[in-house]
Amino acid sequence: MNFELSQEQQLIQDSVARFIDDKYALEARQKLVATKTGFSTDHWSTMAELGWLGLTVPESLGGFGGDQVDTMLVMEQFGKGLVLEPFVASTVLGTRAVILGATQQLKAELLPGLLDGSRQLAFAYAEEQAHFDLEDIVTHAKIDGTDFILNGHKSMVQHGASATQLVVSARTSGGQADTAGITLMLVDADSDGIKIAGFPTVDGQQAAEVTFDNVRVPKSRLLGSVDEGFDLLMQLVVDGILAVSAEAVGAMEVLYKDTVTYTQQREQFGHALSEFQVLQHRMVDMFMEYEQAKSLLYRATLEVAQSGLGALRTVHALKHFIGKIGIMIGENAVQLHGGMGVTEELRIGHYFKRLLVIDALFGNSDFHLQKFAA
Amino acid sequence: MDIDLSSEDLAFRDEVKEFLDSNAYKNGEDYNAWRLNWFKLAREKGGWDVPKWPVTFGGPGWTPTQHYIWEQQTAAAQIPWDLPFGLSMLAPVLMNYASKEQQDRFLPDIRERKVNWCQGYSEPGAGSDLANLKTKAVLADDGSHYTVTGTKIWTTLAHIADWMFCLVRTNDSGKKQTGITFLLIPMKQDGIEVKPIITLGGAHSVNMVYLNEVKVPVENRIGEQDKAWTYAKGLLQHERTGLAGISRSIVALEKLKKQAMTVKRGNATLMDDPAFRAKVAELEVDLLAVEFTELRSLAAAAGGSDPGPESSILKLKGTEIQQRVQKLTVEAGGIYSAAWGALPVGHKFAKGGMSGYLASRAYTIYGGASEVQKDVIAKNVLGIKKSSS
Ligand SMILES: Cc1cc2nc3c(=O)[nH]c(=O)nc-3n(C[C@H](O)[C@H](O)[C@H](O)COP(=O)(O)OP(=O)(O)OC[C@H]3O[C@@H](n4cnc5c(N)ncnc54)[C@H](O)[C@@H]3O)c2cc1C
Repeated sequence: MNFELSQEQQLIQDSVARFIDDKYALEARQKLVATKTGFSTDHWSTMAELGWLGLTVPESLGGFGGDQVDTMLVMEQFGKGLVLEPFVASTVLGTRAVILGATQQLKAELLPGLLDGSRQLAFAYAEEQAHFDLEDIVTHAKIDGTDFILNGHKSMVQHGASATQLVVSARTSGGQADTAGITLMLVDADSDGIKIAGFPTVDGQQAAEVTFDNVRVPKSRLLGSVDEGFDLLMQLVVDGILAVSAEAVGAMEVLYKDTVTYTQQREQFGHALSEFQVLQHRMVDMFMEYEQAKSLLYRATLEVAQSGLGALRTVHALKHFIGKIGIMIGENAVQLHGGMGVTEELRIGHYFKRLLVIDALFGNSDFHLQKFAA
Repeated sequence: MDIDLSSEDLAFRDEVKEFLDSNAYKNGEDYNAWRLNWFKLAREKGGWDVPKWPVTFGGPGWTPTQHYIWEQQTAAAQIPWDLPFGLSMLAPVLMNYASKEQQDRFLPDIRERKVNWCQGYSEPGAGSDLANLKTKAVLADDGSHYTVTGTKIWTTLAHIADWMFCLVRTNDSGKKQTGITFLLIPMKQDGIEVKPIITLGGAHSVNMVYLNEVKVPVENRIGEQDKAWTYAKGLLQHERTGLAGISRSIVALEKLKKQAMTVKRGNATLMDDPAFRAKVAELEVDLLAVEFTELRSLAAAAGGSDPGPESSILKLKGTEIQQRVQKLTVEAGGIYSAAWGALPVGHKFAKGGMSGYLASRAYTIYGGASEVQKDVIAKNVLGIKKSSS
């Protein structure tokens, strides 16, 4: 057992941290939030140039050959800046789906654009009736000659409106909530019959509702095999959970540290707020839970890197804890800042809002506790 | 001790119901005209437009039970919007400490909802430590007016207010609590600048208010110079009582339960989800208790004037409960709660959920932050003395 970073990992972490320092001061970030795409294409190109978009792509395919641990290092830093670029949607989820599920030919077609950032993927899996159950899928695809014909609706597709292709989970057989009968496929965003309606989310990011109306998808665009897509879907979701959990841990660090700093500067009743014992204890609680979250993050990430879906139970534990503790730390950071805490001017509110959204992504805290206990 | 409503109380409840039903807003009606007329009709009922005002000032003189009935009924009905600043916060100060002339000048407009008031208490350096306020007021040599200079912060709705009731410093020597004066200041005049502060979720309700050599006639001073701390604190207790929002939480929770029954989970609904159900149940238990805590304090205060430090208990519990209801609403919205602005599909109630939750975070900050309220209870109710400060 060893928690030291390799030299290569240290280099990645440092370079991401530098990027955040340079580009992601609150004011600069909020300017990007206000733009139409909601992120910077320049930053996206930078991420491509630095090789981050190929982080977990095998070296043989032109990538860096990393695993979930490397993604964790990047995402934790991203969490400190509340990065807006579609790294989770396109790289952690989309590119990974291609690597795990696409044919050699499809990989050859897609990877150059994914690595240089000209192609951008989104992951369309959530449905209204499903609440958080991944296998509850109504969107369906029927085989018609060499094509699938896709019909249905996907919700809250992160960065769906700026994507060039969508990774879509569809039912090809079985009942509405069966794990068998699920198929993943890659759908061009400009296909006939597809409607993508983008909108902002509360954390300043972008999502979309996507409707498929008799959309033709060639069989060659299949990811994995027909009817057997559930494992792949789970693998992607697990990677997504690990990534946003790492991001959350980065955000929590900013929140507890900013609170410690602020309470030392702000005086009331002739004392720095930090001198009041009730506030000290609250900040110690925030700090301890942050450390606990980080421990669970390391544990789940290392276990998944080693045994994939065998580590599912720890992943459920992680996502439960991240949701619960993220909100606890966010609420306390706001409370201890007093009125300043509820303004858009200070950065803590923005970190808090991101943690609220992270709780809702891939199943919330209650959902994962129930999965863990099951 | 008994829990039954008397036949008079039951008759009163029916009368309130009947009033609320027959005067409910009808679609298409001119809202403002309806609103003003509603208050007029309520007044004709015998002070129903000012339920908390004492009889001597035109209030209805209800028993605690009648107040409780009114709260319950109005929380569930559609009643016109109203602001607490003039009606519930300033009015009691005027009744207790203002001259007859001042009462005649300000109370009627407050009652008729003709003017909007805002509360100029907090300053950048004076939040929880309100007595630390620095906005300076200097009395002219001829005693005719004050010249006021300073900065107020977090002033809710200052941008639509006609008047501000304002705490100013008139004396720097001695204890901070002495040397504070209570002034009424018209907002639309030279020397006053209002700058918006945007809060989480993009809303504009609070402001910075800059006062630069604003002249305030001495007739606008309430009570004595330097002695306003007592008046100011009494007002805060009224503010706190109004912030508990218990009846509103009961209504909100019922609404949430109905909504959760529309959220499908497999073959059942979210209300069948054991974790969610347990959280709703815990809230219901707390509400059953706090509703009676409020009734007990109403009964104890019946006939008395200011609500006293018990108002802190209700404020603490009530705001915490409101926050939990809001949080559950966000949870019930699932992923759709993350959407900001118009959303093509998804649970309809998810839309307001997140902004309601974010706004609710301020409930445990304004009107006296929770941590400080607990200090108040420790000191004034439990009688615990602190070694320092
Ligand atoms: C939405 C909103 C609307 C408002 N509207 C108005 C208005 O209309 N008019 C007006 O005058 N004011 C208004 N306020 C101001 C409000 O009353 C103050 O925010 C409040 O008094 C807290 O002061 P502060 O924000 O300076 O926080 P601080 O006093 O700096 O407190 C920060 C944190 O420290 C804690 N703390 C402070 N002192 C102690 C202590 N001794 N022991 C332990 N903990 C302590 C607090 O509990 C809090 O958690 C509003 C505030 C908000 C957020």
